[in-house]
Amino acid sequence: MDVELVEVRDFLAEYPPFSTLDANLLNALPKMLSVRYLRRGSRFPPADETQPCLYLVRKGAVERRSSAGALLDTLCEGDLCAVDCLAEGESSIGTAIEDTLVYLLPCATLRALRREHATLDEYFVRSAAERLRLGRGALEPASQVRSSLLTLAVGAFVERQPVCGAPSLSIRQAAEIMTAERVSALLLVDAGKLCGIVTDRDLRARCLAAGVDSATPIARIMSSDVASIGPESAAFEALMLMTHKGIHHLPVVDAAGLRGLLSSTDLMRWQSANTVYLAGLVRKSEALGDLVRASAELPELQVRMQANGATPSQLGQAVSSVNDAITIRLIEITQWQLGPAPVPFAWVACGSQGRHEQSVHSDQDNALILDDRFVEQQHGAYFAALAQHVNDGLNACGYRYCPGKVMASNAAWRKPQSGWIQAFRGWIRQADTMAAMLAANFLDMRTVFGEAALLTPLHAAINAYCSRHDAFLARMVANTLKNKPPLGFFRNFTLIADGDHADAFDIKRGGLIPITDLARIHALAGGHAEIGTLARLRAAGGSPGLAAASAQELEEAFEYFGSLRLRHQVEQIRGGSTPDNFISPRSLTALEKNYLKQAFKVVGRMQDVLAQRYAAHRSQ
Amino acid sequence: MIFERFLGADFRRRRLLAKAPAGPLRDYLATPFPAKESASGEVAYLALDLETTGGDPEHDEIVSFGWVAVNGKRIDLATAQHRVVRLRAAISPTSAVIHHITDDEADRGCRLEQALAELLQALAGRVLIAHRVETELDFVGRACERLYGGRIVIPAVDTLQIAIRKQQRRQQIPRRGSLRLHALREKYGLPRYRAHNALSDALSAAELFLAQQADAPGATPLKSWLSPSASRFAA
Repeated sequence: MDVELVEVRDFLAEYPPFSTLDANLLNALPKMLSVRYLRRGSRFPPADETQPCLYLVRKGAVERRSSAGALLDTLCEGDLCAVDCLAEGESSIGTAIEDTLVYLLPCATLRALRREHATLDEYFVRSAAERLRLGRGALEPASQVRSSLLTLAVGAFVERQPVCGAPSLSIRQAAEIMTAERVSALLLVDAGKLCGIVTDRDLRARCLAAGVDSATPIARIMSSDVASIGPESAAFEALMLMTHKGIHHLPVVDAAGLRGLLSSTDLMRWQSANTVYLAGLVRKSEALGDLVRASAELPELQVRMQANGATPSQLGQAVSSVNDAITIRLIEITQWQLGPAPVPFAWVACGSQGRHEQSVHSDQDNALILDDRFVEQQHGAYFAALAQHVNDGLNACGYRYCPGKVMASNAAWRKPQSGWIQAFRGWIRQADTMAAMLAANFLDMRTVFGEAALLTPLHAAINAYCSRHDAFLARMVANTLKNKPPLGFFRNFTLIADGDHADAFDIKRGGLIPITDLARIHALAGGHAEIGTLARLRAAGGSPGLAAASAQELEEAFEYFGSLRLRHQVEQIRGGSTPDNFISPRSLTALEKNYLKQAFKVVGRMQDVLAQRYAAHRSQ
Repeated sequence: MIFERFLGADFRRRRLLAKAPAGPLRDYLATPFPAKESASGEVAYLALDLETTGGDPEHDEIVSFGWVAVNGKRIDLATAQHRVVRLRAAISPTSAVIHHITDDEADRGCRLEQALAELLQALAGRVLIAHRVETELDFVGRACERLYGGRIVIPAVDTLQIAIRKQQRRQQIPRRGSLRLHALREKYGLPRYRAHNALSDALSAAELFLAQQADAPGATPLKSWLSPSASRFAA
């Protein structure tokens, strides 16, 4: 009976990198360890430890501080401290903050193991970027059996009772029912038996175009040879039948009678709950109500794209382009009422929409740039009304009002081009962080509707100015450093800063925004005009300010945070709750916490580098 | 007996060595014990746990041995050993339930002579650690008498006695169950082990002893930890 140290082995099996080891090594590993007990308050690593070791906390907790006293991290059950075995890592002073039991693996043994076991070696040699890319792979949904039209049954598409009427109805009555029920086809039933179908197309071709009186019984223009399909048939079969017969509606009939009506749109919608389809739906919208219904499909789009393995940046592109389409359509619909604009204008998206990085949850951020021929007394009312309508419409579609009031309906965000340039000069002179924040907002602007030429010179001017003025950049840096990533996790809590714990953490403020800000500053310092975070990192990477490897680390961290947020939001959408950015450490595996911690460290390190570089300017 | 205790365990070791027949017992006794004045954090120990068929060393048998060496303040897992013993009598159903060792498994085990010889080799020059050390001392002592026809002396520390002494010093009345191994471990923040076998319990006792030592102020000599029970079979 081999029960040798099963407790130790089972513990190791739970935590990376040991969790990735094959069974033989995992069984052999406990015998390479020694065990020490550290009383609360004692030094870590223990002062009397003669050889350098890798430490694994079995129980209890240890904190590590920099020589200046700043908390670096807290280690608890399953956490590793390998600083004594690796060249990297800051020097630190550790203390057991609880009575702690630790496992020790001599660095010499670790070295030997790494030589023999590639998986173990990779864990320690991989760059943070590589490790995070690996971690992101694990977040993507397992290659699930993706249901397709080939595997789904027709019954799965039947959502409502079919809308039926008697064949004795007049054409007008039938049309009234179809309008009230918002259907494009009406089934005609006589004595419980399906006897015909009439569609929008029939009303047009067989009634209006043929000059048939609307008081005529509907039976005159209905199709009476109705094809139907059973609910158990494959959806694909239904699609083939429709294509073959040149029809768009197929009654679903089982032994008990009429079950519903399948339309080709149902199938198309399912097959392509994609941006193209959704954008088409938006373009065809005639009123706000239509847009609200179209945007209600966004969460479903997010769920489906994630299931199909889309990366967060692909999803950001998709969601942002749907938001663009909705904005454009809202402006068009509003202009039907208000008439054409008196002077040219550009409707610009700021923030995540501007960067093409929206998620379903995003607020709206927008502004108006007006042609310099704008005269407040003459044109002010028009643009105020336009902005208000569009902002209200976006809010109704789920893009909630911006809490910071960065919206075109706010007069401060609706100016002629010269007014914007003036405002920008003012922000620079004011030399405060608010100005830096506003400028940052400006740098993420993108024209969604109207004259793109109105924004271009503004961008160019801001880019040129900022890249020449380090003092202004320094203020933007100071602003950026307000959003700090958490230090890590302490059991089921998020470790925010010295002594501060939180239940959940905001992956947007603590992960995504800091990287977005870093990317913007590096792009700006290098004079790169790119708008997206990843595009900025790629453009700025390899410059003296940002090493290529660092840019890659930030990119991987950004995608890791994004993937995690995507999964979190998809779970929320599936569970019927409103998607948000708050992730509870309880919902994370040990491995995910480990990757997150590395991503936090990448961000923290890059923030420190930037802070040091611009420290001189800030003190001036 | 009082006289012998006055003379010390190492004196008794040398006296027994002179009478011991050649073999594992004699080899064990030939190795000097750690000095009583040594700092307890620098002494070599061996944590031992025995699973037995019952509580009476005269009639009951050792089912399994688990041990692991403790060098100063460090448990060396490389030394961990677990030995299941082939029994003379069948295992009682209750005992099988407690130790998860069935007759089949015991049949596959080694002979008591072999397990005991390995233990004595590992124990030489070390201080024994156990929770309620009488069981280990009584069964090992009895086995030595039976197999080698000689007596053994084992210097030992008892995590149970240490806990009792600590409560007495604080004039606390022990609460029911508070002196059980797992209750004491919990008090020191040690993990809860699911497995119930001799090695896991030996490791449990070893960790508890490290915690008890860490809890004591400053460096203490070995003699302040030693159990008086060491002399039982030397008497």
